[in-house]
Amino acid sequence: MGANSSSIDSNSANGSNHPPLKTKLEDIPEACAALILSYLDPPEICKLARLSRAFSAASSADFIWDSKLPSNYRYILEELLAMSIAGMGKKDIFAKLSRPNSFDSGTKEVWIDQNNGGVCLAVSAKGMTITGIDDRRYWNHIPTDESRFGIVAYLHQIWWVEVDGELEFQFPAGTYSVFFRLQLGKFTKRLGRRVITNTEQVHGWDLKPVQFQLTTSDGGCVMSKCYLDNVGTWVHHHVGDFVVKDSATMTKLKFSLMQIDCTHTKGGLCVDSVLICPISLAKELRSS
Amino acid sequence: MAEASSSITEKFFLTLKSSDGDEFVLEESIAIQSITIKNMVEDGCSSSVIPLSKVDTETLIKVIEYMKMHSSTSSNEEEIENFDKKFVSNSINTILNILEAANFLDINNLLELCAEAVANRIKNKTPEAVRKIFNITSDFTPEEEAEIRNETPWAFEGNLDHSLD
Repeated sequence: MGANSSSIDSNSANGSNHPPLKTKLEDIPEACAALILSYLDPPEICKLARLSRAFSAASSADFIWDSKLPSNYRYILEELLAMSIAGMGKKDIFAKLSRPNSFDSGTKEVWIDQNNGGVCLAVSAKGMTITGIDDRRYWNHIPTDESRFGIVAYLHQIWWVEVDGELEFQFPAGTYSVFFRLQLGKFTKRLGRRVITNTEQVHGWDLKPVQFQLTTSDGGCVMSKCYLDNVGTWVHHHVGDFVVKDSATMTKLKFSLMQIDCTHTKGGLCVDSVLICPISLAKELRSS
Repeated sequence: MAEASSSITEKFFLTLKSSDGDEFVLEESIAIQSITIKNMVEDGCSSSVIPLSKVDTETLIKVIEYMKMHSSTSSNEEEIENFDKKFVSNSINTILNILEAANFLDINNLLELCAEAVANRIKNKTPEAVRKIFNITSDFTPEEEAEIRNETPWAFEGNLDHSLD
């Protein structure tokens, strides 16, 4: 090992005659390695765990992951997902949460952003109340791999378009954005290529805007209106934002999509899901 | 050892000895930012020279420089901030030596400063690049490395910096 005393950084002695005594990061104590890792984002910590056994061991220190986990991780795992986390390391808890975890009979998912630990949720169309969903002349469910839930609701034609959903969750304090993920036109795969079909069924959306609404249990209410024109592409339509001040309380959200002007019919709409995420992550979605 | 000052406060001095055998005399009030030294003082082990066998002269000079800056009542926040900025621009080897010394001497804010500085240097680099920079040889078998990848597959996406600076 003594042969490894050469250094890439030749300026290290900084004018002094002493050669650097240590040139190898692997020589540093595990506690120091863990402290260095704690200043990095989770994906980077895991990558550096591949450096050596010492780094691999250091990357599992609970204190690193304590600071990366959302404040409500116990609530998510123990209460919402009814999981036992006894004996689980914080790194494993983070890994578990960074993948989508479904709840409410698979109609909802919760996960955390790998980079900043922000809590995200999605509610499937299957988990929402859609007026006329039981009548196949109006709506039906179509399976697709373009939805994180594997299924979307498709509207053939109707006068009264109303999609309502709700969610009760203990959010960490912060500001969150709510989106409806929608697309005009149906799509299939032919010979591996994505083909938009039934575009002739797309109608009525240019006459009046769709109204989105979000209400929260603390009395907040926001509304937004939008003319839908995204034929063939999925778009996250911004419903509104809400602020959570106290991480220890439950927030009840109600969100809806409505176009109930009964002077004309509307059709050709795919409803995938509602997405709730920290406003910092929402910026990417809004610009697209 | 105690030197009585002419006015109100009495100053005590400690002698620190580096692994190279150099001795440094330092005010006790400055030196006890190190919890290790503080404990020695409280246990009455500080009457003679305190040997710091794990800290070489070059590193000890830097550590003393840092402790003087951070204990001085005359330096304001901005000065300290500028000092810290300049301090972490030392070479990575120097920082690593200081980091280890801070760990041994138990000087928490210096430890954190150095750890963050090292983290900033290796941010966004591939493990291969970090390995080259720090001259680390992997002690994993290919099977073990594959296992680590499988544990956290979500961590191995996206673009990384392959450069070595």
